[in-house]
Amino acid sequence: MPDPRGIGNQYYEIRERCVVIQTEVFSTSGCGECAKVRARLKAIAEAMGHDKITWHDINILDEMDYAVALGVMSVSAVAIDGRLAFSSLPSADTLRAELTKRLSA
Amino acid sequence: MLTIGKVAARAGVSIDAIRFYEKEGLLRPAQKTEARYRLYEEAALRRIRFIKQAQHCGFTLAEIRKLLELEKGDAASCNDVRNVAIAKKLQLEHKIKTMKIMSQALSELIGICDDETKPIEECPILEALETSITKYESGVW
Repeated sequence: MPDPRGIGNQYYEIRERCVVIQTEVFSTSGCGECAKVRARLKAIAEAMGHDKITWHDINILDEMDYAVALGVMSVSAVAIDGRLAFSSLPSADTLRAELTKRLSA
Repeated sequence: MLTIGKVAARAGVSIDAIRFYEKEGLLRPAQKTEARYRLYEEAALRRIRFIKQAQHCGFTLAEIRKLLELEKGDAASCNDVRNVAIAKKLQLEHKIKTMKIMSQALSELIGICDDETKPIEECPILEALETSITKYESGVW
């Protein structure tokens, strides 16, 4: 019997199985220094593999409800797999250690 | 120069409030007379308006002091102030969310009390609150 959810959903299921970690970075526009830090952090995540880690930049003002639901209390924060992981931007080493820990879990 | 009474009257705050702002480091008299009466410049009125407006936006006096420090500092930019405002908005949104949950809990309690003629000892609202406390204390929650 064919899967009633269709081929499209099967594709997403396979994709979800491959993508191990979802990273969401909350920020606002207008902070040049924060943008540089974010770019460095993004490069770390990307270096660990696009198939393992996804990276989404979220403008906190566009997604205020979502930010509040996650417990974000400052303009820069990082959520991993739908939970607040860092209440401010972490250092490169801290993020790398966290992602490595989760990948090996 | 303005006396504390004149500043209070023109700014629409009490004399005690002005003394409190001074104690909190938000406002200083331009000078004191020999008899130690405080005297203020017109700028004090602008400062008090600033404090009141910031309080209307939910800022505490400690946060207002930080805003004023940002204003004075050379290193700060408008974006720093914007970030403080966004953080405050997040804080307010959290409070709104919590209060909505509390309001919903009250709606549910009001909903279970469908008989207004019941005596106080059979009040389902009080009973539900009592049960909640028991559950909480026994670690069911």
